[in-house]
Amino acid sequence: MLRYALQRISGVIPTLFVIITASFFVIRLAPGGPFDEEQTLPPEIKANLEAAYGLDQPLLVQYGRYMRGLLAGDFGPSFKFKDFSVTELIAQGLPISLTIGLAAVFVAVLIGVPLGALAALRRNSASDYGIMGFAVLGIALPSFVIGPLFALIFGLYLGVLPVAGYETGQPKYLILPVVTLALPVIAYIARLTRGSLLEVLRSNFVRTARAKGLSPLRVLFRHALRPALLPVVSYLGPATAFVVTGSLVIESVFGLPGTGRYLVQGAINRDYTLVMGMIVVYGAITLLSNLIADLLYGWLDPRVRYD
Amino acid sequence: MTAILAVDALSVRYETPDGVVNAVNDVSLEIAAGECIGVVGESGAGKSQAFLAVMGLLAPNAKVSGGAKLRGRELLGTDPRALRELRGAELAMIFQDPMTSLAPHIKVGDQIAETLVVHKRTSWRDARAQALKLLEQVQVTDAARRLTQYPHELSGGMRQRVMIAIALACDPVMLIADEPTTALDVSVQAQILSLLKRLMRERGMALALITHDLGVVAGLADHVTVLYAGRVVEAGTVRRLLKQPAHPYTAALLRSMPRIDASVSEPLVAIRGQPPSPRELVGGCPFHPRCDLAQPRCAEERPTLRSTAGAMVACHFPIAASHGDLS
Ligand SMILES: Nc1ncnc2c1ncn2[C@@H]1O[C@H](COP(=O)(O)OP(=O)(O)OP(=O)(O)O)[C@@H](O)[C@H]1O
Ligand code: SF4
Ligand SMILES: [Mg+2]
Repeated sequence: MLRYALQRISGVIPTLFVIITASFFVIRLAPGGPFDEEQTLPPEIKANLEAAYGLDQPLLVQYGRYMRGLLAGDFGPSFKFKDFSVTELIAQGLPISLTIGLAAVFVAVLIGVPLGALAALRRNSASDYGIMGFAVLGIALPSFVIGPLFALIFGLYLGVLPVAGYETGQPKYLILPVVTLALPVIAYIARLTRGSLLEVLRSNFVRTARAKGLSPLRVLFRHALRPALLPVVSYLGPATAFVVTGSLVIESVFGLPGTGRYLVQGAINRDYTLVMGMIVVYGAITLLSNLIADLLYGWLDPRVRYD
Repeated sequence: MTAILAVDALSVRYETPDGVVNAVNDVSLEIAAGECIGVVGESGAGKSQAFLAVMGLLAPNAKVSGGAKLRGRELLGTDPRALRELRGAELAMIFQDPMTSLAPHIKVGDQIAETLVVHKRTSWRDARAQALKLLEQVQVTDAARRLTQYPHELSGGMRQRVMIAIALACDPVMLIADEPTTALDVSVQAQILSLLKRLMRERGMALALITHDLGVVAGLADHVTVLYAGRVVEAGTVRRLLKQPAHPYTAALLRSMPRIDASVSEPLVAIRGQPPSPRELVGGCPFHPRCDLAQPRCAEERPTLRSTAGAMVACHFPIAASHGDLS
């Protein structure tokens, strides 16, 4: 297990390096620059500005400088939010984005797995059809439809939850965003769990467990569930990426001061350092969640960790 | 003779969207203490279905009728809880495919110990110690190390030995072995069979050996029951049945497989035609479309299992015993 873990972990750093490098150059290749929009800017001042931010240097020099900064934990100054460094901007928004993202994944597993298992155990019953019907809806409906719908129902009609906005230390502002974000993931996990548990319950080793005279609960929890969760765990990596990108949309639907807005604004403004900072942070989050999913998979399935 | 296991008029059927499947029809057989009975028949004959029904391990949509008594206690239709207490303890079963029959995520030792913990309320510590002894008994090499290994680290033969150790853990009176060697190399097959033979003798355990290989039966079984299309077509002692098969199907089965003990080396003859699908009902004798001895009557009237000249056989025109072969 230790060797397997070290192998996985050592793969993350080079991947992140490649992502950062590729993004750095691709962003610079896009036409336009951070100071192009300010039409009134006289050429000399624009040149001065570019010199101040190091944009007059050859690309490779800029790259070297950026990477050195990154190693020291410095994402550089924002070109547009002139009073803030990128580090400050992201540090402001990230806690909210991370909270709703992680909470959504957590909620999705916590609800999706039992729902799927229930559907599998009560196969072809009303609860199975109900759960699977809900799952189809949850996957098909986009979150920018569900989000406003929830806001309408729970915020305006029922008046139990705030429609939008955020106040620090007030989790009720996060409930609707988290639920909206989690819904498709719950649906997908429920379907995965149902299918995989049904398959495992038909497998030979579950027949062996029953032949041993074990109780149905023991057969389910000790013999069937762990192998049945493998597909769910493999999905957790992509699910986190999905939730993280989804949170960018959800944040604007519910008016949350997360990091989502920086990616869009940063891209429109050619705010190179801000966009890069977002890519580095979100790239790292995605890699990290995939790493955790991998380690979990290795723990669940001995065949993987020994190969 | 007191039967350890008495199966009485057992039938298994499925109602599927494409029609009714009669997997097992009216099968009766008895197994005495310490005896080995061979159950033979082609693929699809209903061998596994019959014994999975006895174990209560069929799919939920299976419709089972008839009876099966273990030491006089009815197994079919009894309270699932009571059945679970027998299963894995007094009545055990091992399966055809050792590669997929063990839980991939549980250590081999714990899979053996679990049976003891559940049935005998042994502590895990003691159960693991007993698991080690069991592994040694089924001749697993390097047993102490195997305890903490996972199934994928073991060869097919080793895994089948582990399956046997699991089945033997609580000292069952009846062991059902469903084609225990089919998936294994020939040399390993012989080892597993002689292991089963030895364990039977040592423990006085009854064994139902399911196989399509009459050669396997010849080496191990006392009695044989031949199944065709879910029905018993012939039953009797191994000695008689191998020498003087009374049912044309048994005879054809014997001709279709290599025999070491054949006095003259006869050419192998495959049984013509296909085994019947359990979905379509063949009128008359189920074997008549493939039988060389079939007469018009065979297509109209189904022969019942009856005793003729020392053989139990379901055939209108059983093969007569040649003189002087058997006393
Ligand atoms: N769940 C099921 N639904 C419908 N038919 C089934 C089901 N399970 C088994 N059968 C049918 O029952 C028949 C008997 O199957 P069984 O597994 O007992 O054969 P077998 O004699 O053990 O053959 P083999 O040597 O291949 O193991 C087969 O024709 C099979 O298709
Ligand atoms: S009853 Fe007729 S068809 Fe059936 S086995 Fe006997 S001889 Fe053959
Ligand atoms: Mg079978």
